Amino acid sequence: MANIFLAVTQSTNPILPSIPEIIWSVISFTLLMVLLVKFAFPPVKAAMEHRTSKIQTDIDHAEAARHEAERVLAEYKEQLNEAKREATRILEEARKTSEVLRRDLLQRAEEEAAELRARHAGALVSERERVLLELRQQMAGLAIDIAERVIRAEVDRGASDVLIEQYLGEIGAMAP
Amino acid sequence: MQYLAINFPPISEVLNWKPLFFGGSAIAFNKIGLITLIAAFATLGMFFIAGRQAKLVPVGMQNFVEASVDFVNNSIIHDAMGPEGVTWAPYLTGLFFFILFSNLFEVIPFFQMPATARMAVPAPLAIGVYITFIVVGIKRQGLNYFKNSVVPSGVPSFVLIILIPIEILSTFIVRPFALAIRLFGNMLAGHLLLLTFTVLSEALFVKGIGLILLPLPFAMLTALTGYEMFVAALQAFIFTTLTAVYIGEALKGEHE
Repeated sequence: MANIFLAVTQSTNPILPSIPEIIWSVISFTLLMVLLVKFAFPPVKAAMEHRTSKIQTDIDHAEAARHEAERVLAEYKEQLNEAKREATRILEEARKTSEVLRRDLLQRAEEEAAELRARHAGALVSERERVLLELRQQMAGLAIDIAERVIRAEVDRGASDVLIEQYLGEIGAMAP
Repeated sequence: MQYLAINFPPISEVLNWKPLFFGGSAIAFNKIGLITLIAAFATLGMFFIAGRQAKLVPVGMQNFVEASVDFVNNSIIHDAMGPEGVTWAPYLTGLFFFILFSNLFEVIPFFQMPATARMAVPAPLAIGVYITFIVVGIKRQGLNYFKNSVVPSGVPSFVLIILIPIEILSTFIVRPFALAIRLFGNMLAGHLLLLTFTVLSEALFVKGIGLILLPLPFAMLTALTGYEMFVAALQAFIFTTLTAVYIGEALKGEHE
């Protein structure tokens, strides 16, 4: 019996398998498969699946966050547009009000100016009358003065002509 | 004459390893057994470390393991099985790493032997895949599974006479052998290729005569070491992808 095994183990044919080597390779491979499938492979697989699911979850969350951000952005844009419209409306209103005010003020200023003009026109007339009156009084005074000087200068006929000329010139210079 | 002194070891010497424990018994534990055990525990260790870290932002081992699981999910399961295949992720990921590590021992110092270059490793894996996809097919489609897998729809009946035997042969007979032999052959060839250039470099180095020639075999050895690392990953990927395709076919049937 031992001889048969010995004969097998000492097989020199390089192609044919030897029994003890088959036994050990089967033991090794079976051991590997049992331990790998039962204990060694599942943790690795679990770690990989855990990572896959975590990445998927993270991507989903990121997607959701992006959608939320887009929604909020749209909301803000709408609010901004609303504010712009409101600002435009307020500006327009202010412009209108200011226009009304301007016209109002202008009208009042014109009225005041007209009133002032009218008042000043009256004052001018009275002033002119006053001046004329004063002038007339002065003229009368002057006329008397001239008459006095003419009488006084009766002796020199030629001189009176000169005097008259002189006074007439003075009056002319005083006239407005 | 000295050139002829290059002594290539007999093939049994570079493939059959002496038992480390239990010598002479049916469970003789040799280098191949050690490599498959290390491949299994390295895979488990990676997943345990990654599972214990379980950080939200993966770094280090967790990052590597998660990227690998993602790779198996996206490049293998999603393409070959559709979304339904996700439940097969632990099996396919484990299969991928077990084969990858078993292959990579081809270039790891002091081991320098891909466990998959011994038929004892790819054969049970292929048989396991064979049983798995047939069981899944029967569970999913009942006995119609056999009809659905060997009778393609929309083919004229006279063609079926030729096609059915071919389909039976390719699906239920050739598949497990092709799966096992593809992996075994590639890794054995790589191992022997590396060995050849190592022996050549060593012989030239020791004899001294070929020192001028040394850079060439040594450069080849270096380049091939890199290439074999690529092959190790590629074969693990092919084995896992084909497994996913077979199970995916059994899941879908011809109705979907």
